[in-house]
Amino acid sequence: MYWDRAAETMDRRDLEHLQLGRLNATLQRAAHAPYYRDRHGARGVGPLSSLADLADLPFTTKADLRDHFPYGFLAVPLDDVVRLHSSSGTTGNPTVIYHTRADIEAWGDLLARCLYMAGVRKHDVFQNMMGYGLFTGGIGFHYGAERLGALTIPIGPGNSKRQLWFMQQFRTSVVHILPSYALRLATFFAETGIEPRRDLALRLAFVGAEPHTEETRRRIEEVWGIKVYNSYGLSEMCGPGVAFECPEQHGMHLWEDHFIPEVIDPDTGRVLPEGEWGELVLTSLARAATPLVRYRTRDLTRIVAGTCACGRTHRRIDRIRGRSDDMLIINGVNLFPMQVERTLMRVPAIGSNYLIEVHEESFMDRLHIKVELRQDAFEGTLAELEHLAARVTDELKAELGVTPVVKLLEAGSLPQGEGKAVRVVDLRQPGGKGA
Amino acid sequence: MAFHLSVFVENQPGKLERITRVLADAGLNIRAFSMASAGEFGVARVLVSDPERGFAALKDAKFTVSRRRILVALIDDRPGALHDLLVTLASHRVNVEDCYGFVLEGGRQAALVFEVEKVPEAEAALAGTGIRLVPDDGIYRL
Repeated sequence: MYWDRAAETMDRRDLEHLQLGRLNATLQRAAHAPYYRDRHGARGVGPLSSLADLADLPFTTKADLRDHFPYGFLAVPLDDVVRLHSSSGTTGNPTVIYHTRADIEAWGDLLARCLYMAGVRKHDVFQNMMGYGLFTGGIGFHYGAERLGALTIPIGPGNSKRQLWFMQQFRTSVVHILPSYALRLATFFAETGIEPRRDLALRLAFVGAEPHTEETRRRIEEVWGIKVYNSYGLSEMCGPGVAFECPEQHGMHLWEDHFIPEVIDPDTGRVLPEGEWGELVLTSLARAATPLVRYRTRDLTRIVAGTCACGRTHRRIDRIRGRSDDMLIINGVNLFPMQVERTLMRVPAIGSNYLIEVHEESFMDRLHIKVELRQDAFEGTLAELEHLAARVTDELKAELGVTPVVKLLEAGSLPQGEGKAVRVVDLRQPGGKGA
Repeated sequence: MAFHLSVFVENQPGKLERITRVLADAGLNIRAFSMASAGEFGVARVLVSDPERGFAALKDAKFTVSRRRILVALIDDRPGALHDLLVTLASHRVNVEDCYGFVLEGGRQAALVFEVEKVPEAEAALAGTGIRLVPDDGIYRL
């Protein structure tokens, strides 16, 4: 029932004692990173005498990570680093997170703990439909499943026909998948006459990497005829595996031997009482290469009150309800409206006004970007317009990593906002996966 | 030089009608009108009686509009007349980028409006073929 019984069911007092020790060790380690050395002083802060003192330390933000690219947050010699993961965003510098061999092993073990908790065992066949590469989603689960001992198929996303073929040939029992893709694949099953309960050996699915509602999860469970578990993670802390659902499916246990969660008011930065909704702030406790202190995740959640029937003592966080910034998640890819703006500014024939619409088309997110043609830039031919639309599409694709539908409009046809312009309209259904 | 107007339009009901209203309100006569579309947007070509005024009126009404140089040829309204014209231009390696035509009052002749990149070459090619190019100041009075 437990992958690591001692860690997972540790008495709260012992757990907090362990946290304090690891926190002070983390603060010592962090002082080797240029960023924290500047902030906390060469000898670091601490040792703290209680966990409550953590609230006095400054936050770390994504902008800090970006501004101190590439090595400002590296706390070990480069020789000890075996891997990096990086954000896909090309807005300025990417956020880069480094891993020592021990970091990678600890992360894999944490994922194994998550998977085991949900019921994955050595005899399972795990088909990982999440993207591999710089993105941590695919590779994190991969290491966890191998650590656990399951037969792991690193198939990656897309190509429904091939996914189905592997599922049938190898009797896949567990999948890791984007919730939007899970729904699309269900449509594909229906079209090809596959009834998952009868024709496949599936038992479990893990969904994550994009916000989705409880209704979406239940819908996937219903159409696939399996249990679907929620997972939470972010590359800054390692990747997936930070928090995970147990079979109770009531909140995600956040592994407090590896991370300290705080929930703050995103506007004031004040730590909120347990149970209130706010922005999740995380401090890593066991990371060597890139330790982070009070990192603002921008994800909105709350601590679920009370103990869990599963016996684990680690507190749970609720389903992520949205973001405290304007980040959009399109089919699992993170992007910011500012990236669209920067790209459009590079195209002289396009005006500065724009509108981003997020549509849902057959269970996939589709980005529509409405732009205005500048009056003085028009030479009068259809060919130049087609060329322009194609160029804007290409540049946005290169910047965002997703292909948008570009709509060329007449100048002045987009609403001119008084004050803060509305740049994003999310038309995804509330019952879908809209953030 | 003679011009027609080229107007960027979104492919939606009511968009073209806005153009014709602006021109009507300005008291301008439309001699010819054509539309080229690429799915969600397109370009309307308008030959008006006074292109400068038409251009200003559309610009004032916030249209994205530009003036494009044109040549207008008069051809007989008979089978093969357009073919002869195009063969002549092609044999002189003059590429026609845009073209539309209308039959003149009386029905004996048609006016063919076309855009070419090589205007002097087009003029030279048609000289002495019997195909008459309408002088610039005559175009809007056709």
